[in-house]
Order: sequence, then C-alpha cells, then structure tokens
Amino acid sequence: MAAETISRGFGLGRPSGRASFGVIWSVFKARVKIITRYKGAILLESLIPIIFAGLPILLGTAVAGGEQNAATNFFTYTHTQTTTGQPLTAADFRLYMLMGSNTFMVVSLMLWLIGYWVRREQETGTLEALYLAPAKRFYVLAGVTSYTLVRSLMAFLVATVLGSLLFNVNPLNGPFGAALLYLLLGIPALWGISFFFGAIVMRIKEANSVIQLLQWVLASAMGVYFPVTVFPALLQWTAMVFPPTLMTDAIRSTLLPIHSIYGEWYVVLGLMLTAAWLVPFLGYRFFGLIERRVRRDQGVGQF
Amino acid sequence: MMARKTVLEYTRYPIAFGALFAQIFLIILLFVLTTVAFAGQPGAPGTQENISKFGGAMAYGFVVNIILSFTLWEIGFSVREEQVRGTIESLYLSPANKFSNLVSRIFAVLSMTLLMCLGGLAVVSAVIGGLPVNNVGQGLLALLLTTSGFLGIGFIFAGVTIKLKETAQLLVNGLQFTFSIFCAMFFPFSALRNLSPAIVDYVSKVLPVSYCVDLFRSTLLGTSPELAPWDVEWLIVLAFGLVSPLVGYLVYERIERKARMEGSLGEY
Repeated sequence: MAAETISRGFGLGRPSGRASFGVIWSVFKARVKIITRYKGAILLESLIPIIFAGLPILLGTAVAGGEQNAATNFFTYTHTQTTTGQPLTAADFRLYMLMGSNTFMVVSLMLWLIGYWVRREQETGTLEALYLAPAKRFYVLAGVTSYTLVRSLMAFLVATVLGSLLFNVNPLNGPFGAALLYLLLGIPALWGISFFFGAIVMRIKEANSVIQLLQWVLASAMGVYFPVTVFPALLQWTAMVFPPTLMTDAIRSTLLPIHSIYGEWYVVLGLMLTAAWLVPFLGYRFFGLIERRVRRDQGVGQF
Repeated sequence: MMARKTVLEYTRYPIAFGALFAQIFLIILLFVLTTVAFAGQPGAPGTQENISKFGGAMAYGFVVNIILSFTLWEIGFSVREEQVRGTIESLYLSPANKFSNLVSRIFAVLSMTLLMCLGGLAVVSAVIGGLPVNNVGQGLLALLLTTSGFLGIGFIFAGVTIKLKETAQLLVNGLQFTFSIFCAMFFPFSALRNLSPAIVDYVSKVLPVSYCVDLFRSTLLGTSPELAPWDVEWLIVLAFGLVSPLVGYLVYERIERKARMEGSLGEY
C-alpha cells in the first residue's frame, strides 16, 4: 500500500486530460514544423498518385488499342457490375484509377511516415530519450499519427483536384462528400495498421526495404489497379479482410455507378465501423507487446 | 573496400534481401495482371498475342525502370542516411576517394538487382506464356551503357539530396514516376503517341533515358525501335553512358563544395 502510494504519489503527478492533449499537440506541432522546412514536399507527394494512375491508363490504352476499349475490357475482365445497367465509360475508368491511386497514397503515406518516424528516432538516438520522457507513449503516437493524417488528407485533396483537371473527370458528379466520409471512417483502421507497422520497424529495424516492399504489397492487396475479385479465392478473401481494400472499394463504389464487392452500402458501412475500432485496438496492443519485447531484449535505441 | 563495407551492411539486414526480391516480383506481377485485364476476353483471338507482345515490352521496360529506381534511391538515400546519423562530415574528413565513395553505395544493390531481374523475367515468361528473347549480347551492352548513364543521374541526385534534404526523396519518387511515363517504361511509345504525338516528339525524344528503354526493349524483342533508327539510338545511348557519369559527378562535386563552404553538409 505504501509502495503504491509512493509510486503514484498523491495524485498530483498524474497528467490531466489537458496535459495529455498538450503532448499530442506538441508532437503534432513539431512534426509540422519539421516538414515546413522542406519546401515543396506536400505538393510533390500530391503529384505521385496522379502519375501512378496514369500508368495503367496508358498501358490499357496501348494494350486495348483505345481508351474506351481499355475501359470495356477492364470492367468486363474484372466483372465490375454497374448499378445503372449502363456500360461504364472511359471517364469512369479514369476516375476509377485516380481514386484508387489517391487512396493508395493516403494509406502509403500513413504507413511510410510512421515507419520513418520510428526509424528516424532510432537513428538519431532520440527514441530512448523519448521513452524516458514523462509522457504516455499513446499520446506521443497519437500526435505523430494526427500529423500523418493531416498530411495524407492534404495530399488526397490536392491530388484529387489536380488529377481531376488532368484526367478531365469530375468527382463532384457523384456524392463526393460521402466518399470523403468513407475515407475519414477508414482512418482509424489505418492508424491501427500504422501501429502494427511501427512495431515491425522497431523490431526488425529495416524500415526502408520493408516500407518499399509493403508499398507494393499494399498496392496489390488493396486493388489499386484492379478489384481484388480477379485474385484466386483465398487471396481474394485475405485481401478483402484488409481495411484499405474496404476503404478503396467504398470510395469507388460511392463515386462511380458500380456495385461494391462487399455488397450493399450498409454492409460496407458496418464493416468500416467494425474496422474503425477493432484495428486500432489490436494495433496498439501489438505495438505495446513488441515494444516491451524490444526493451527487454536490447533496448529501443539500437539500430 | 567501400563496396565490401556496403555488402557487409546489407548482410546485417537479411530481411532487406528478401524484401527486395519479393518487391521486384510483386511489381512485375501487378503490371502483368493489369496487362492481362486490358487484353480482352481470355481465349478470344488475338488476346494471347496481345498479352505476349505488351507483357514483353512491359517486362523489359521494367528492368530499365528498376535499375533507374535503385540508382536514384540508393545513392541519394545513403547520403541522406549519413546526414541523419551525423557521419557524413566525418566521412568527408577521411582521405577516401569521393567518386569511389559514391559508386560503392550502388555496387551491391545493382549486382543483386540484376540477378533479381532475371528471376522476374522468368516469372513474366511463365505468366504470359513465353517472353521473346533476341540479340542477348547487344541487349546486355545496351543495359550496361544505360546503367552507366543512370549513375550520372544518381550522382546528381546525391548532390540534390545534400541541398534539398528531405524533399529530395519526394523528388526522386516524382522523377522516377515521370521517367516511367515519359520514357514509356511500362508500355510502348505508341501509347503516348496515341495520347498526343507532341508528348513523344517534345518530351520523350528529349530524354536520353527514353532511347535507353527503346533500344534495350527493341533489341531483345527483335522489333524496330520506335524513336529513331538503330544507329542513332546506339549513338545516343553510348554518349549517355559515357558522358552522364562525368557530368553527374561534376555537378555533385559543385553542390558538395558549396555545402561545405556554407557549412551545411551535415545539416538535415
């Protein structure tokens, strides 16, 4: 009892809600300050999904001998069903690719920034210092993930505007607000995945190669270029469980007149809500587990 | 010695080997599957020929793309890593040759990449039902000159990394994708021409990398080059392979000297 009183003090040492928010805000502010030192970073990362979407459009046009042929062949091959009964146009095909790439950029950026944050702190030798600070890790992570969220959402919006102008498509023809809501609803799951990712980087330390590999695993698994229905059954189901696949499909099926591969809208919504609380919970638990193991084995500072 | 040090560093991170290998297969598979999705109904007349033709063009273009990608990433990224770790200034105080220092950073990864590309091409061949392979010797010579030319771009990027720091990574990413599009690495130049002939005439034809892609691809596929006659393409690729590393290194030296004078070499 006495020991507990000593270790907890008299309640004076416990951080208040305001202090905890202060930790989140300080970490967020520090990250924003760092990125503003590197001019053009945000704009450049917004251009990448546009180029990424351009690749399959050009490849498809070359292979099928025309953009409309490419669209027809693609939607036939992938068994994409329309909600209106009308055939999908070349513009639908362009919007399909653009939205896939933009969503991929959000997912990739969130993982990339978290992975690099852990790795950078390891390399600069500040990760151990961070562990000695009297702030809960959860709030530090919340600060970093909030920063990644703001940065990736900015990239999404800029890429959507620029991509729409370049590809001559209008996402506002569909319920863009609803698509954006689906994107926001998918963010907690991405937070969860980034906790998993941060833990992996902390453990295996090879952030660069793992991030590069995972980018392509992500691109394949979340159906950036084609719906996961083209995969063999087992792979398809595995990919469908992956929250970014759900997010991509939800955004596409909202903006385009196509059926979701998951079923009706309320099924999609239900799955997204489930992922929104389950994945962060599991992710944070996993992070905690790995973190404890690393601290016990060799310490968090070794790289 | 420096290359050995890089190899030693790689051996400390065994997962990196596996990740690199898997990554190459994944990229190839992603694009092959995309090609298949656009080729038309499976079993319809012409579909298989289409897949084989465009799959081959994509696969050989991909080999050039992956070499470009690793050259750009490895040199610039490792310089950045030295900045972040705070070892770059001490490295510059050592009497080591700067040119060897830069080349050694890419040696290990390029050797591995070439081996992995062979594996990747085997995968494409299996998926699309046979990959056309002609004039292997000439193809390898074209690839060697191409790689030498890319080293020059890599040197410039190492310099740009010293100057731009974090933004350079995004610039590499953007440049890599830009080259992929305008140098038609994943599709024939006819796709760009269909979009607008001006893209090929005023953008692709200005970039030496386009000729590297076209020459390597046409040589191995046994088709006529799309951008210029054979002799012109060989001349451009030869000049690129010889001049680019020299120019690239001069640019790097200039940026590096400026950074040292300003005292910003170790800043990140």
